[in-house]
Amino acid sequence: MSITLDQVTKRYQGMPVVNDVSLDVRDGEFFVLLGPSGSGKSTLLRAIAGLTSVDHGRISLHGRDVTNVSARERGVGLVFQNYALFKHMTVAENIEFALRVRHVRASERRKRRRELLRLVALEGLGARLPTQLSGGQQQRIAVARALAHKPEVLLLDEPFGALDAKIREELRRTIRQVQRELKISTVLVTHDQQEAFALADRIGVMNLGRLLETAPPDELYARPATRFVATFLGAANLLLARQTPEGIRFGAAPVDIPGAERADTRREHEVVAVLRPEEAELAPTPEALASPFIGRGAVDEIVFTGALQRIRIRLSDGAGAQLLGPESNSGAGMLEASRTQREQRAFPLAPGHSVAIGMRRIHVLPTPLSSYTAFGASVEEAEQLSRHSFLVDLAARMKTRVNVRVEPGLRMANNADCSSGADRGGVAVLATAPDIISQIEFLFHQGVTEALVLPPPPTKPQRVLIHWLDRAARSDTMAVAASLLRHVAAEAVYVGIMPPGTPDSHRSLGMRALLDARSEAQAMHSLDMRTELRFGDIATELAAQLGEARDQMLILGISEIRQLRERFAALFATAPGRPIMVVYRPGEGTRPA
Amino acid sequence: MSNFRQPSVLPGFGLTFGFAMVYLSAIVLIPLAALVLKAGTMQWSEFFHVILDPRSVASYRLSFGASLLAASVNAVFGFVIAWTLVRYEFPGRKVIDALIDMPFALPTAVSGIALTAVFAQNGWIGRYLDAFGIKVAYTWIGVTVALTLIGLPFVVRSLQPALQEVQSELEDAAETLGAGRLYIFRRIILPTVTPALLTGFALAFARAVGEYGSVIFIAGNLPMKTEITPLLIVIRLEEFNYQAAAALGFVTLVISFLMLLSINLLQAWGRRRMVAAGH
Repeated sequence: MSITLDQVTKRYQGMPVVNDVSLDVRDGEFFVLLGPSGSGKSTLLRAIAGLTSVDHGRISLHGRDVTNVSARERGVGLVFQNYALFKHMTVAENIEFALRVRHVRASERRKRRRELLRLVALEGLGARLPTQLSGGQQQRIAVARALAHKPEVLLLDEPFGALDAKIREELRRTIRQVQRELKISTVLVTHDQQEAFALADRIGVMNLGRLLETAPPDELYARPATRFVATFLGAANLLLARQTPEGIRFGAAPVDIPGAERADTRREHEVVAVLRPEEAELAPTPEALASPFIGRGAVDEIVFTGALQRIRIRLSDGAGAQLLGPESNSGAGMLEASRTQREQRAFPLAPGHSVAIGMRRIHVLPTPLSSYTAFGASVEEAEQLSRHSFLVDLAARMKTRVNVRVEPGLRMANNADCSSGADRGGVAVLATAPDIISQIEFLFHQGVTEALVLPPPPTKPQRVLIHWLDRAARSDTMAVAASLLRHVAAEAVYVGIMPPGTPDSHRSLGMRALLDARSEAQAMHSLDMRTELRFGDIATELAAQLGEARDQMLILGISEIRQLRERFAALFATAPGRPIMVVYRPGEGTRPA
Repeated sequence: MSNFRQPSVLPGFGLTFGFAMVYLSAIVLIPLAALVLKAGTMQWSEFFHVILDPRSVASYRLSFGASLLAASVNAVFGFVIAWTLVRYEFPGRKVIDALIDMPFALPTAVSGIALTAVFAQNGWIGRYLDAFGIKVAYTWIGVTVALTLIGLPFVVRSLQPALQEVQSELEDAAETLGAGRLYIFRRIILPTVTPALLTGFALAFARAVGEYGSVIFIAGNLPMKTEITPLLIVIRLEEFNYQAAAALGFVTLVISFLMLLSINLLQAWGRRRMVAAGH
């Protein structure tokens, strides 16, 4: 490994801008850090170069721990967005700077300079001043300068940011060529996904200071694990579907779609599916489609982009309900599709035309949280709950929707016996109530598997407590917590609780369980948790901990419905008003690796 | 001429150019010419007698020597102050930034009296310096202190914009390339701000040569020892010896002009070297 980052964290005024990033860059690899501005990617790059200290974690270059080594001694090559050439020096002096600092003999310096100028295809420009060169040429000089001292690692911070499209492409090719020729491990930071695709051996996507996913470009595009990556890398339509033992279902009809893989198939539940615009097929009638039909729509807008035609289609009722997007709550779903020239010739379209839509390939995100449904005994109750600021925020960040459902059954939930398995969308959201346990039990019997209980006051959790009652619920609770924490800027704390008066000999087992949980969360869900061990009654301890500070929430995992009443009655009765998410996974809950 | 006549948002090149010429003539060129003419009414022997008088020569030495020294001191400490103001955020930064201009605003006589009070043998600072046998007030050191005070804003204000332009990225780049702090300062920061530093130095120097008000209080004005040229000119004027005053003024003018010219040439040479450098 040429660059190894181990749980690197950097805070500015208490806020983590780089949040627990672990990463290995291989020898000779071209690695691209991709993310929106403010995602912490540039800070991470500066930390690798040694220009920024880290608050936590280790950085090693080629096996040498350099966490506390100054930038000067790390000797990486760094290229900046604005070139950062020394304007009072000639091109030759710029390139030779690192050699002059190292007291390399003049003849050798001259030889190396010629070599580097040839490498970046700017021979004979040594005598010029940087200001006499074009932007693209200046950036080539900056690359040559960064390579002069033969660094083991090349770092590029948005190197094409200040250049126009044509030169950008040219320089991109040069940098890729130089990197291949020297086989130097390279990290490039960018917010441009085209650039990332064109250059990267592997891409790491960052958001809110976290490194979300790391994979080769094609894999990341075809099989993203998170909504953020799915929508950030190219255009994507997010759809709600149901995972059944027989396959994926959109609306009523089951559709057999190839490429829908990697989902939890053990139980029937709602999932989020990604449909890329180019995988949507358009035809005049459902019969003319070569792929499974999912609905009809009307062409709203057509944009010509050269090779491709981009089309926005307003889905008609039924199909539109499946679509997640900014307008999805109003039911006016807009589907993005794109067609090649050949497809356009075969079936010409104009705005207003009605089309049948099919999907050639979809990808199901492995996230356990799909959408939210606010439940209430009356319309007013349910709608008021759906406007709760915490819920609205969360749904917006997860790019999903909040449904509203009136369930008179909640009022007389005590006969919790009717396991009808009715269609319920995603996480059930409930308002705090005296008989809340009966309500949750009722919904779990109906087939709901996650319930979020919200107290009336608005809240922004800074700390998420996580606890599962037994091993059966462990893995799924972790998955839910990881999914939630990707969208909330909060720290995660796993609370382990042992009975009071546990003999000392058993305490070490408790500690082991904590550490195991922590490493599993890290490995399986890239979730960094802190851990705390407490002694006492579970419900009392959790209630006490929730009482310690205002902005907290709890994620609770159970594997049997009755556990809720038997073990946590005290928690719901006495806990101060904090959001509580209950994750219910019946039976054997270990997720296949 | 056609080079000047670029199209511009403001019309009337002829009008503005004419105005600039008249204006400059009225307040700069004509008074200077009158000075030269007045000196020109003297006989050569008379002229040389006045300007080579030992008292005059001593005053040139003090005036130009102290001005050069003061401008040099300002170049160093003005750099430090400008650097602190540009590079760091600290409470009271704006206040200190505003204080820099105080010497501009204060009547120079006031600063002269204040300096004398502080640096006199029994003054707040003079008292402690006196214990080491250092006398400031009524010596050439006092003259230099006064000239340093009035020259400081020129250096700081010339340097600030230049330092703002040295992106910290340049230093980051040099650091990753293996340069130490001293090397970065010498090879990156200093060359970048040298033109501005020279400008500030030249302005501070020019201002110091012409300074009168603040110096006469702290200098003590002993002929041959602590008498500056502008004071000698005033003394000659009070004796109604206008010709001698004009002759001394003429000498000051010539020396100042030569020194400013050489600083400008130095700057131009620096720029040319930057452009023409190569291997």
